[in-house]
Amino acid sequence: MLLKECYDAFGGSYELVKVRISKDEIIKKFVIKFLSEPSFDNLCRALEDENYVEAFRAAHSLKGISANLAFQRLENSVSVLTELLRDSDKKIVDKEQCKKHMEYVIKDYNDVIEAVRKLNEI
Amino acid sequence: MRDTILIVDDVEFNRELLTDILKDEYKVLSAGNGREALNILEEHNEEIAIMILDLIMPKMDGFQLLEEVRTKPWSDHVATIVISSENTIGTEQKCFDMGVADFIHRPFEEILVKRRLHNIISLYQYQEELEQKIEHQTATLRKQFELLEIQAERLKQSKENMIDILGTVVEYRNLESGEHIQRVKGYTRILAERMMKDYDEYALTQDKIEIIVSASALHDIGKIAIPDSILLKPGRLTAEEFECVKTHTVSGSEILSKIKNTWDEEYGRISYEICRYHHERYDGKGYPDALKGEEIPVSAQIVSIADVYDALVNKRVYKSAYEKERAFQMITTGECGVFSPKLLNCFCKVKNEFEELAGSSL
Repeated sequence: MLLKECYDAFGGSYELVKVRISKDEIIKKFVIKFLSEPSFDNLCRALEDENYVEAFRAAHSLKGISANLAFQRLENSVSVLTELLRDSDKKIVDKEQCKKHMEYVIKDYNDVIEAVRKLNEI
Repeated sequence: MRDTILIVDDVEFNRELLTDILKDEYKVLSAGNGREALNILEEHNEEIAIMILDLIMPKMDGFQLLEEVRTKPWSDHVATIVISSENTIGTEQKCFDMGVADFIHRPFEEILVKRRLHNIISLYQYQEELEQKIEHQTATLRKQFELLEIQAERLKQSKENMIDILGTVVEYRNLESGEHIQRVKGYTRILAERMMKDYDEYALTQDKIEIIVSASALHDIGKIAIPDSILLKPGRLTAEEFECVKTHTVSGSEILSKIKNTWDEEYGRISYEICRYHHERYDGKGYPDALKGEEIPVSAQIVSIADVYDALVNKRVYKSAYEKERAFQMITTGECGVFSPKLLNCFCKVKNEFEELAGSSL
């Protein structure tokens, strides 16, 4: 599977990531590295524990990484979740909303993982 | 040479991505939180050109780190670029307020990050070069200034030495004793200080008074050119002999003008004035130049009255000592010498001080 096909499969933008990172080999290295990047797992665990400060930080990291790699669909859903979690140390978090948006994040994340695994198998 | 970039981000993924992008051009160090970054900065701040900083981190976030860094002596030399996906209102502004050199939004473009790093490094390098130049020049200037001060001090010393030496010459050659010279200096100071207080028009200052006082020691230096037979002659001088004595004003001033270039202008000028004109009279009947009134320099006027007073109250080869009260009257009534009314006015005011000084030496 080519990088471009991989990006198309999960709603990313290969064109955009090429603007950001010039070498294909670096793009590929970090797309594959994304499989072992712990932010998503940290986010799941923190939400389960209702540790929203930690959940915000994890969501924020995931948002940054997906933005940098131009995982656009995932970036969009995780951005909404990040804003729901922002300032969770100062105000009460809307748990229902978070849960709902986390579902979208999980779906988009899994799409990325599935496509990247295929890329990695070649 | 600063050739190192410090990447501070809690997400390993981000650190590695930036490292991969930058490692061909720079040495790269990285830290996972503010605390760790601070330790690295303490150790490597002389090599680090730029710190690339993420804002949201556990254990000391980006802002806390910036606060800490600002208190460090090296903070001006390490530039900070914030890379963040924070787009909340005011974040960027706050970063710049805290002295950050640039703010890059995530997602970033590799080429632009490199460009900005490059620009900022050049800018800081240029600034550092300028600072070093200025520091170097300031040091040079300070050294030269110190040297000048030392030389000025030496000059002052040598001027004073010269006056002392000349004064000693007069003392040994002359006969009026060293005490006469010391007393004339004393009267001169008392009178000059009174004049400074009462008459602004003479533009006397404490500095100028110091010069007049030390130069007053030389008022009779011309007497070294007069034969002992005349100088030490008891009793009345013939007209011819008196003419010879009178030449000590001119020959004294000539001696001084020959050494003029060795000391500074004001010292030279004032010594010359005192030497040449301390026998002039306010009514124009003095010698050698028959100057009249304020044509006579104030320095000479002051020394003149001091010299006359001391001659009157002390015994000389040609005369015995007068009572102080009598000497005072002889001067104020014009029986002995003619002086400026202003000077006489001051002389009256300091009568007691003069008498005290005259008494102390007896």
